[in-house]
Amino acid sequence: MASMKLVWRNLMRHPLRSVLTILSLTVAIFLICGLRTLITTLNAGVANADNRRLAVMSSTGLFVELPMKYQAQIDRLDAVEQTTKFQWFGGYYRSPKNFFAQFAIDPATLFSMYPECQVPPEQQQTFLKNRVSCIVGKGLAADYGWKVGDTVPIIGALHPHPENKAWEFYVAGVYRSDAPNFDNRTLFFHWDYYEKTLESGGVTPGVGVFSIRVKPGTDVPQVIADVENLFKDSEQLVSCETEAEFQRQFVTMFGNIPLFVGWIGGGVVLAILLACVNTMLMSMREQTTDIGILKSIGFSDRSMFGLLIAQSLFLCTLGGALGLLLARGTQPMVSNWFAATFPGYAITNGTYLFASAVTLGLGIAAGVMPAMQARRLRCVDALRGMD
Amino acid sequence: MSQAMIRVQAVTKSYRRGGETLVVLDKLNLQMEEGRFYALMGPSGSGKTTLLNLIGGLDQPDAGELYVSGENLSDLSKGELANWRAANVGFVFQGFNLIPVLSAFENVELPLKLTPLSRKERREHAEHALKLVGLEDRMHHRPKQLSGGQEQRVAIARAVASDPKVILADEPTGDLDRKSAEQVLELLVRLNREFKKTILMVTHDPHAAAHAQSIVHLDKGQLGSIVDNQPMALGPK
Repeated sequence: MASMKLVWRNLMRHPLRSVLTILSLTVAIFLICGLRTLITTLNAGVANADNRRLAVMSSTGLFVELPMKYQAQIDRLDAVEQTTKFQWFGGYYRSPKNFFAQFAIDPATLFSMYPECQVPPEQQQTFLKNRVSCIVGKGLAADYGWKVGDTVPIIGALHPHPENKAWEFYVAGVYRSDAPNFDNRTLFFHWDYYEKTLESGGVTPGVGVFSIRVKPGTDVPQVIADVENLFKDSEQLVSCETEAEFQRQFVTMFGNIPLFVGWIGGGVVLAILLACVNTMLMSMREQTTDIGILKSIGFSDRSMFGLLIAQSLFLCTLGGALGLLLARGTQPMVSNWFAATFPGYAITNGTYLFASAVTLGLGIAAGVMPAMQARRLRCVDALRGMD
Repeated sequence: MSQAMIRVQAVTKSYRRGGETLVVLDKLNLQMEEGRFYALMGPSGSGKTTLLNLIGGLDQPDAGELYVSGENLSDLSKGELANWRAANVGFVFQGFNLIPVLSAFENVELPLKLTPLSRKERREHAEHALKLVGLEDRMHHRPKQLSGGQEQRVAIARAVASDPKVILADEPTGDLDRKSAEQVLELLVRLNREFKKTILMVTHDPHAAAHAQSIVHLDKGQLGSIVDNQPMALGPK
């Protein structure tokens, strides 16, 4: 190796070109971090799913309601330890742009079924006692500046209030969850309030999803079969799945997002690779005579290969490192942007490692072709400036 | 009589240009003694630069054998040839051929990076070489901040920094004005007389050749003559 000084000075022959290439790499690595985080965020729910929890929904689809009476029949199965129910409310806060998830739930069973939902005990007690109250995730509370004691009006787009007004919920508590499969940007309110209010308008509510927790050591596939068989002659056929499978289907409900995002990421890597190869080829062409000089002095072909690879690695590592810093620095902001669609957006260590590996791979791949040319270049040809 | 520093035995070198084979050196035999200053002259295309490149191990002959400093260059692999160049030969080119992004000092230090010298020793050697060519006050200047004559003197400092036995100069005064050319020639004569370097200088200029102890004439790839010469006295400093 000639020296790191020579590597740096060669890159600074055309500072603007090098800076633009470095900035392109910065943006590319930032995008790769972001895109991969979308995939890891989507998959986090699957990876962290509780293997004793099952989801029961209509075999027709998630938005077809099941009769409430099904819960009692499921409860009677020996393997079932507990059940609870969820109904998607589909409302918004003041304006349709303020959209987030709201569920009508059974407060008596929610906390034991989902211990990852952490609410201070006194707030939990308030929530249990007050049927028009709700609990909100800490992310949601932060987004809208809600605090315990506030009354939150929600317009029921999917389930309008019979009196044609907003549903009002008293904020009894703010929950937090450290589990990726339990989102911090949801509002949960009493099933009882939901049911009674709709019935007052002549509507009989149904259930979107029953969640089951089976007893330890249970043969899960057998329970799934038992639940589905239980309703095979009923008005609504059901589909029973593990929580992981349910999460997976939820992810793929919008199409194969991981594949789509992966393609975009691959395109970004390919585009930046071509840009880096171009930069390095131009750089090598400018250094042709210098390579001849260095070889004539006694530097080996191998060291010329190393010189060009080092330049490429330096360029890519600098751009990549800036991209990683940008991704890390902007994570809270990006997480807020994606709060509604990709809750729990957080760049994992695996993503940082992946992006670092991509950076190194780019550095080597972009440098190999010019480095091979530098290695093969005959000294006399190089001195004549022939590349 | 001194022993042969350079021995060229039946060396042939040809190039293919536009489908034709052009024989540049044709079974050339030549011997050069250690510690002498040779001027290599001849018309364009006579094979002067080709011979210089072969002796310097920058190129390899099609046939024949080349012994420089007792080493048969044909026996060396590419890597060994690079190491051999680093230890035995210093090059001075017509176009100076300094690395433009490095300072005069850094250019001179380059060949020393291939030696086991410490950083401090490298610095001392490079400074000494620059002092030898009278450019110690320009050591931190980049090539574009130097005149042509100064650039060539830096190139000479680089050529001698690692103390090689042989200095090969290809038209070293070709791009210089008369005064700068004279300074460069005086430097080469000094290196030959004081430091006993074997110098082979390709030139078209009879005035430059007059500084050498022997003038070798090449013609159509073959040896024309070797004429011993009474070198010109060094001019005033």
